Amino acid sequence: MAKWARRNDMILHLHRAGHSTYTRQKSHGVSFRVIAKWMRMAGVDHIHAGTVVGKLEGDPNVIRGIYDTCRETHVPQNLQHGIFFDQPWAGLKRVMPVASGGIHAGQMHQLLTYLGEDVILQFGGGTIGHPDGIQAGATANRVALEVMVKARNEGRDIWNEGPEILRDAARWCAPLRAALDTWKDVTFDYASTDSVDYVPTPTAAM
Amino acid sequence: MRLTQGQFSFLPDLTDEEITKQVQYALDQGWAVAVEFTDDPHPRNSYWTMWGNPMFDLRDAKGVMMEIDACRTAHPEQYVKVLAFDSSYGFETVRMSYLINRPAVEPGFELLRSEGPGRRIGYTVRSYATGRPSGERYGGEARHGA
Repeated sequence: MAKWARRNDMILHLHRAGHSTYTRQKSHGVSFRVIAKWMRMAGVDHIHAGTVVGKLEGDPNVIRGIYDTCRETHVPQNLQHGIFFDQPWAGLKRVMPVASGGIHAGQMHQLLTYLGEDVILQFGGGTIGHPDGIQAGATANRVALEVMVKARNEGRDIWNEGPEILRDAARWCAPLRAALDTWKDVTFDYASTDSVDYVPTPTAAM
Repeated sequence: MRLTQGQFSFLPDLTDEEITKQVQYALDQGWAVAVEFTDDPHPRNSYWTMWGNPMFDLRDAKGVMMEIDACRTAHPEQYVKVLAFDSSYGFETVRMSYLINRPAVEPGFELLRSEGPGRRIGYTVRSYATGRPSGERYGGEARHGA
């Protein structure tokens, strides 16, 4: 399919609806890290790789392991992220991770902190559901993204100051103001079933 | 119509202080900063004119700001952008690009339709400004030469 897509001027996007039937079980199935690795080697261009926030569950450490597998040229062993051994990818092309599922402009600081900037953020309901229409929704999301990247580059602590940065931008951007009012702090806080196998335990110094 | 290309184009125009911070961020990442300008704002025009070479060895934002100022002063009625190029293995590409100057009046784009076989319509856009020769497109600059 990757070869066909290149020959026919197409981008190959991998959506993972239904993956939870085999990626959530500890006792059987296949971790999504393996799927991500396999798909990078197979030549997929985009892959739904988890979002951490939003309506779909995702443990930050697990997602980080999957994103590293998609994006890094060298992934060192990191048991907390589910990476069991060093993985040098050399010149093998990266896969662009895609985050989606119940995300909105008000979470921009969290999305940028967890996922970085080399990611496709897909706001579906978070665009179309805007009270002033789809164009206003798209503007709100773009403005939220740009103020957050700008603030991060300026050295601000976006994790803690994120909501304030968005509120400041909403003063001059009516579409963003309406978006923040609509979704406020809508959030889903699941305990993820797709957890890592290793959790560091502090021990007393000998 | 306000042109929205690159980073930060949905925000109010950046002040010099804000531009300096973004330039410093790029330099801190080890990226080379370059300045380019054009009066052909088509979204697929990636061949802007280089304002000198990319500043591969420059590590201080002040030097970049001097080049930015010089380019803006020379071309006040054109689009000017700042780019940051990452030469590291696996990227080797532009990591940042944002406008730092725009003409006072931006006429926007015309939607063009071309009819193909079977009532198929092909769409493209054309800047109203590019109907005139380069250098005479936006306001004042032609008068400087005249």
